[in-house]
Amino acid sequence: MLTRRNLFKLGAVSGVTLLAIETFHASPEIPPAPDGLGHSFEILTPEDRGVLSKLTPVILAEALPESTEDRELAVKEVIVGWDIAVSGLPPLTQHEIRKLFSVLDSNFMLSLTPRLLTGVPGAWDDPSEIEFFLNTWRLSDPESLLTGNELRVGYMGMVEITMASWYANKRSWDFCGYAGPPVLY
Amino acid sequence: MSDKQNTIRDFIAEGFQQGWKHLDASRLTSDQTLEADVVIIGSGAGGGSSAEILAQSGLNVIIVEEGPLQTSRDFHMKEDEAYANLYQESAGRQTKDRGIKIFQGRMVGGGTGISWTTCFRTPSTTLKFWADEMGVKGFSENEMRPWFEWAEKRYNIQQWKVPPNANNSTLEIGCEKLGVSWGKISRNVTGCINLGYCGTGCPVNAKQSTLVTTIPGALEEGATLISKARAEKFEINNGKITELKCRAMTPRGNAPAVQTIKIKARHYVLAAGSIGSPAILLRSENKILNPNGLVGTRTFLHPVNISGAIMPFLVKGEYGAPQTSYSDHFIETRLDNQKPGFILECPPLQPMLMATALDGHGKFHAEIMRQRPFLQVLIALQRDGFHQESVGGNVYLKSDGTPGLDYPVSKYVWEGIRDAFIAMSEIQFAAGAKTVAPVHRDAGLYHNIKEVKKAIAVLPMETLKARLFSAHVMGGCPMGEDSAKSVVNSKGHHHEVENLSVFDGSVFPTSIAANPMESIFAATAKFATELAKNMVN
Ligand SMILES: Cc1cc2nc3c(=O)[nH]c(=O)nc-3n(C[C@H](O)[C@H](O)[C@H](O)COP(=O)(O)OP(=O)(O)OC[C@H]3O[C@@H](n4cnc5c(N)ncnc54)[C@H](O)[C@@H]3O)c2cc1C
Ligand code: SF4
Repeated sequence: MLTRRNLFKLGAVSGVTLLAIETFHASPEIPPAPDGLGHSFEILTPEDRGVLSKLTPVILAEALPESTEDRELAVKEVIVGWDIAVSGLPPLTQHEIRKLFSVLDSNFMLSLTPRLLTGVPGAWDDPSEIEFFLNTWRLSDPESLLTGNELRVGYMGMVEITMASWYANKRSWDFCGYAGPPVLY
Repeated sequence: MSDKQNTIRDFIAEGFQQGWKHLDASRLTSDQTLEADVVIIGSGAGGGSSAEILAQSGLNVIIVEEGPLQTSRDFHMKEDEAYANLYQESAGRQTKDRGIKIFQGRMVGGGTGISWTTCFRTPSTTLKFWADEMGVKGFSENEMRPWFEWAEKRYNIQQWKVPPNANNSTLEIGCEKLGVSWGKISRNVTGCINLGYCGTGCPVNAKQSTLVTTIPGALEEGATLISKARAEKFEINNGKITELKCRAMTPRGNAPAVQTIKIKARHYVLAAGSIGSPAILLRSENKILNPNGLVGTRTFLHPVNISGAIMPFLVKGEYGAPQTSYSDHFIETRLDNQKPGFILECPPLQPMLMATALDGHGKFHAEIMRQRPFLQVLIALQRDGFHQESVGGNVYLKSDGTPGLDYPVSKYVWEGIRDAFIAMSEIQFAAGAKTVAPVHRDAGLYHNIKEVKKAIAVLPMETLKARLFSAHVMGGCPMGEDSAKSVVNSKGHHHEVENLSVFDGSVFPTSIAANPMESIFAATAKFATELAKNMVN
């Protein structure tokens, strides 16, 4: 049975899902991509942004501002930071990140299906599902015969760029007690 | 004018305005062909020292650097900006299995531009090992002394007398309580105002990187600097290099552009650093450059693991000179190699660096970040390369010709990493830590030494579980007198190709077992002085 939970696993470990979902990519039904605050995205697709808008609140948790409004703005800024960071990476690394997103994107699209068709929310709308998925990747065996170190590496990459994007942002500095660079003049 | 305004003057930018020769290759609109007596690839510790010495002896020098030319006014103490602009692969370089994150500079100044200014002479035990085991000649303590003295004078390396920040004083206090020996670090600074932002480029030109010392020295003698140009490969004819092929980088600097630059010279000096220098030799695909397949082998990292501690007092390790205290107790007591030795030091603690070094996400991560001002951090640097089970890594080329490093951590080194987790937590608890967090996938926060030791004893010492880092890449073109076992001789000259030298940290046949920059300054000054003499005659 295709429960939500093993849906994540399935999407995570196999590129096969990607094929199955090709049609969705072609469909005009684009998931809700957070707006880019005026930034024109070079790397992240609307699907990628949709994925990140769900992952970021779980990855950063309490480190994000409390009020819904500030929180939403922060998430958008993290996503813009992501795009800027990735666009400065070597082309080969960008390619790897695209591969990672293609797994996540297809998964994301698949999970949207129930909602689009029936109005029932998909797995990506449930933070505890996302937490479960993140931890599965985090704790995956780096020497797995099936996936090699891909899941663990994918987790580390996702989390690292998200952390970098947020903690480079002035808005995070209050939370982590950082007064910012000294003023020289 | 006050002293402060004096240091803040961007005299490097002024030098370029007044006529130092510089070409930003990302602005080229056509291919170029240039000629020189010597072309030096890379402008870091080795490239800078060599450039000044060769230019001062009257030779016509071109320096080719892949990274950008930025000067103090461009250094805003902002982490995201600095990592993207001044570090290799935006500070995201990793070993092949992603188990070790590698920091290297990529700017005019190379690693010296973002270094934490910690300086040590090469330990005498390392020099002795090279002489006894690696067939290196001319590197005894006595023979090297004048070159260390040269480096100390040229880069103003001096004992740092300002009191340490709390991150470093915690190391001192912990060691003192345990009877573990420790010392004060010497730094290459002039007029340092103790900001703590060495890792993002010194905004007041206090750090004596090659960017503000020997590169200007070379330019003053008429050398030409080409920035944002990547040396791709050598053309070889009749056993000699006839040309260096370079490619301009795009303005952003992360990818090659279409324009090419060909440089013909009498002599070619590789100073693109470990990983970088071997990569150029490998890309050239000529047997004579790599007759025994040794290029890229014996690349060392001083693999680093990390221990965080929540202290009962404010640490604020983002401010104040980042590294001022160290302990080589676990080097000195382990010279028999029964167990691998390691150095203990402190890193700077700006939030982005910290947040990305921790494992995990969500509540656990956020809680540590919330307590960040109270966080004290120790790092342990493994002394790799001195044991038959510690042979370092191999440089390889990826599908697009850019280099990677395959560095599997041996069982032997893993045990050193485990011991280092224990040693660091002991020091942190001795200095009063409330909790200690070894940076490892499976570790939590521990409240006392018994608890943490019990946990560390069973933590799997495996790749991608213990988080590992390196800011000290060394080796890859090992030197020695036996051409079957080394790439260059003890003068940095390639064994087979007469107009090629390697003058950077890649010549070291083991790790240094101390922060390597001063070793590179000294070794390359020695090499370049001899080359200059030969070329002028
Ligand atoms: C964050 C950080 C902090 C550090 N702190 C210290 C410290 O406190 N003390 C210490 O002793 N050491 C420190 N180090 C290490 C030290 O910086 C290096 O060991 C040293 O700079 C290496 O010198 P090098 O000449 O071998 O190479 P580098 O200084 O790395 O210079 C090589 C240069 O060549 C360029 N290059 C590479 N490939 C090419 C190519 N194909 N074409 C053109 N150019 C190319 C690179 O962009 C780079 O600028 C630190 C390193 C880092 C990253
Ligand atoms: S501590 Fe600050 S002033 Fe001193 S060298 Fe480092 S960045 Fe420059």
